Amino acid sequence: MSATSVRPDGGVRGWFAANSSGNVRAVVERGFRVVGSQNWAIIVSGFFEPVLYLLSMGYGVGALVGDVTGPGGRPIAYAAFIAPALLATSAMNGALYDSTWNVFFKLRFAKLYQGMLATSLGPLDVAAGEIFMALFRGLLYALGFTAVIAALGLATSWWALAMIPVALLIALGFASLGMAVTSYFTTFQQMDWINIVLLPMFLFSATLFPISAFPQAVQWFIMALPLWHGVELMRQLSVGHFEASTAVHLSYFVALSVLGIAFTTRRLRSLFLR
Amino acid sequence: MSELTLSVTPPGTDRVARAARQAAKVRRWGWWYQAEWRLFSMKAYLSSIFGWAVLVPLLYVLAMGVGLGALVDGRSGGIDGVPYLIFVAPGLLVSTAVMSFSNEMMFPVMSGFKWQELYFARAATSGSAGQVAIAELVAVTIRSLGESAIFWVVLISLGATSGGLSALMIPIGALSGLALGAPIAAYSATLANEGFQFSMIQRFVLNPMFLFAGTFYPLATMPIYLQWIGWISPMWHGTQLARALSFGLPLSGAEIGFHLGFLVLAATIGCVLTVRNFRRRLTK
Repeated sequence: MSATSVRPDGGVRGWFAANSSGNVRAVVERGFRVVGSQNWAIIVSGFFEPVLYLLSMGYGVGALVGDVTGPGGRPIAYAAFIAPALLATSAMNGALYDSTWNVFFKLRFAKLYQGMLATSLGPLDVAAGEIFMALFRGLLYALGFTAVIAALGLATSWWALAMIPVALLIALGFASLGMAVTSYFTTFQQMDWINIVLLPMFLFSATLFPISAFPQAVQWFIMALPLWHGVELMRQLSVGHFEASTAVHLSYFVALSVLGIAFTTRRLRSLFLR
Repeated sequence: MSELTLSVTPPGTDRVARAARQAAKVRRWGWWYQAEWRLFSMKAYLSSIFGWAVLVPLLYVLAMGVGLGALVDGRSGGIDGVPYLIFVAPGLLVSTAVMSFSNEMMFPVMSGFKWQELYFARAATSGSAGQVAIAELVAVTIRSLGESAIFWVVLISLGATSGGLSALMIPIGALSGLALGAPIAAYSATLANEGFQFSMIQRFVLNPMFLFAGTFYPLATMPIYLQWIGWISPMWHGTQLARALSFGLPLSGAEIGFHLGFLVLAATIGCVLTVRNFRRRLTK
């Protein structure tokens, strides 16, 4: 169905023309109005979650384990080991909350997208606008948390500043994928599946302890999951240690983002423009 | 209304007596009928309750007990004389029970007043407004006992605790849940609209209480100015009792009395306030 509406010149330009009117601003503007009038308290308070985890686990468990092996085999304090991992997790959670629960509600109950797509807006505009809002939120958290890490003396390299844009990349990957997957869900019970994936991913992705604690087969499985790449990437940035794997982690998220956005746009098209 | 019923048929005295008996039964047992209803209505999502009840403990115990445990045991040779897995297991049971109990006392309670308005319907029976509150607390306590029992079985099967006395962790888990869940229910009953209150409770009450309740390390590891969060957290009091039951953490009689006293007191105050607030709202 979708192919028929693509302009004859086809290609990337044709795809854009068929999916977008170039008015992403309208979607973003609406997003900011909602933030300003309704849910700023929720957004601001979300900042505290990783900070509390860092204080509790970093100093509590840190007192029990002392230094651990950081990137490149150098010993680092336990709090410095988990801080970048918590930033990656926070970027994932923030992005996924916005792109799953919020999108599900708008899609199935508020019918917001149907309204938007009845105007000149195209599915790519809607997807890009929503993802932009998720990223804005991610940016706030990344700025705040990086400041906390720096204030606690847990960042030992100027490269730690690069954690901010990388947090956005991680958020982009998760947000675009989350939105595409959410578009398949029709009931609240199905939303449980998101938690069933997220909880083990958070618990096992080398966030709080190295994955060497697990058998080789389990390690391979964890290494296939996105959060692990995000955690490793952040950890390497926090101390400014780079190796070949850094590029792999980075590419993983670039690929995830590109695929996710294409997938989301396609889904919105097939949902509404039939 | 009364004329209508009178005019329909001349009611036989036995019918009047039967209705009176029925009403008396509801006055006496209404709280249980309503609790039963709440439990049966959970059947709709029983598989997901059961799935979570098994999955969550399994994941947490594997991640924390085994994963983090490898790190902790390698450095400090366990805590309180036992491997980390054994140390952390009772804390996970209690804090999971408290979290899940508390969640049942937020949106579902608001729903009873606002969206489904079930509480108003129940209060219109021969039962009392107070019974509506008690029914809610009883039903969720029963559910909490079930969930804690599943958690306990998972712990046993992973070798994270042994049988015998440790089975008493099941009621301790439910009591700890009630100690925080009941005050939350009392608060929820006062809310007219869903704002962000429940998210705020999650972020600024439940999460800090969970993170600073000595679940993952002894409370004394924390600096003193953070320890108070543990002292007011039912999770810490429940966890200490559960540790004594699970692996024999040495507690003096006074300590046991203190922890148990805190939980019973918090639960009692919470229940009294819940009944009061339900009654106020349902008899307005």
